[in-house]
Amino acid sequence: MLPVDTTQLLKGVLDLAVLAALRDEDGYGYDILRRLRTAGLGEVGDASVYGTLRRLFNAGLLTTYVVPSVEGPHRKYYSLNAAGRDELQRSGKIWHGFASTMDDLLRERETA
Amino acid sequence: MNSTAQDEIIAYVFAVRAALGDLPEAQRDELLEDLTEHLTEVMADGEGSLIDRLGSPEAYAAELRGTAPFVGGFPDPPRSANPFAELREQFVPQLREHVYPLLRVVDERLGKLLGYPRARDFFVLLRPAWWVVRGYLAAMVVAVMLDGTGQPIGLLPRIGGSDVVALLLLGAAVLGSIWLGRRSLRLRWWPRLALYLGSFVLVMVALTGFVEADSSTRDSYYSDVNYDNPYSGVEDVFVYDEQGRLIDNARLFDQNGEPIHLGSAYCYDEYGNLLEESDAGVYPYCPEKAPFRMPGAAPKASASVEPTTTPSAKGR
Repeated sequence: MLPVDTTQLLKGVLDLAVLAALRDEDGYGYDILRRLRTAGLGEVGDASVYGTLRRLFNAGLLTTYVVPSVEGPHRKYYSLNAAGRDELQRSGKIWHGFASTMDDLLRERETA
Repeated sequence: MNSTAQDEIIAYVFAVRAALGDLPEAQRDELLEDLTEHLTEVMADGEGSLIDRLGSPEAYAAELRGTAPFVGGFPDPPRSANPFAELREQFVPQLREHVYPLLRVVDERLGKLLGYPRARDFFVLLRPAWWVVRGYLAAMVVAVMLDGTGQPIGLLPRIGGSDVVALLLLGAAVLGSIWLGRRSLRLRWWPRLALYLGSFVLVMVALTGFVEADSSTRDSYYSDVNYDNPYSGVEDVFVYDEQGRLIDNARLFDQNGEPIHLGSAYCYDEYGNLLEESDAGVYPYCPEKAPFRMPGAAPKASASVEPTTTPSAKGR
């Protein structure tokens, strides 16, 4: 079989990861990328995060506002709105279910 | 940030854009809207060129495509889903760019004239007034449609000439219109469009009715004269003395000494040819058309006989 590829796994959960990264604090694009990498998702690509933010915004899950910055260009901050929080909760539940199923499955195989 | 870095970012964004060249322009613009700012952040944090850190622009574009499945991937799904989407995509930005700023200027200028920050603030205040007017117009249209008497309906929505019905209908229509007005602010697209169309038709019908009412009010003076005046059909006047002789060149005056004008001072023969034009106010205009004639007496076309001073005529 093919070895598990983290990049492939990420594709399915990147939306959820980005929503989760915005749960406690608003952030601009590069900021969110850093949060994901700090959290351990080192493989996540810059374009993926940028594209995901645009898409989630288009889907109505995020709102944006612009904050002037002293040294650089204005920064567009993304923030979870009510629909985004709902989605985070719903997808989070699905993920937990999926993850625990996988955990159970792997534990059975290991202990068997 | 130095200009070299800026140039590098611009070149990178340009290359990404080129790699996404197959997308519709609006979608591509939308996708790349924030990329320059985003890459500026990337540049500011750390060392190395963009290509070192992010890979080639083509790879970046491919990754963008992969994480934004709504672009590419499927053969134009948004377009087949909504035939208006493309049109909207084309026209809305143009409207936004060229028409909206103009409207905003008009809004503010007109508003200043009316004493409000913007003209629309004033018109919003007029909304309930429009609801009342709309109720009245609707009641009038209903009354005109249901009223079978064929008489002029007046300014109240009378059905069968009844004032009570008129007032009830008017009250119901105005209340209904206000109720609808309060609800219409929350209506969705189609019901709202239907309401606007209905209002438009109502206004057109009302304008027609108004023009009719206006012209009939202005004409009523003349029509009253025509209806009540038994002399409206008079074309000529023939004055006879007590012996039954036609008096030529008679003049008529009222109690105030004002000359009385009747008929028209033009004579036509039986073929419709103009015979002569007489002096207005001197009767008869056309002596040859006198209804009664003395046997044997030929009509005198232009004699200047003064009946009271011709005693010789008495014997005839």
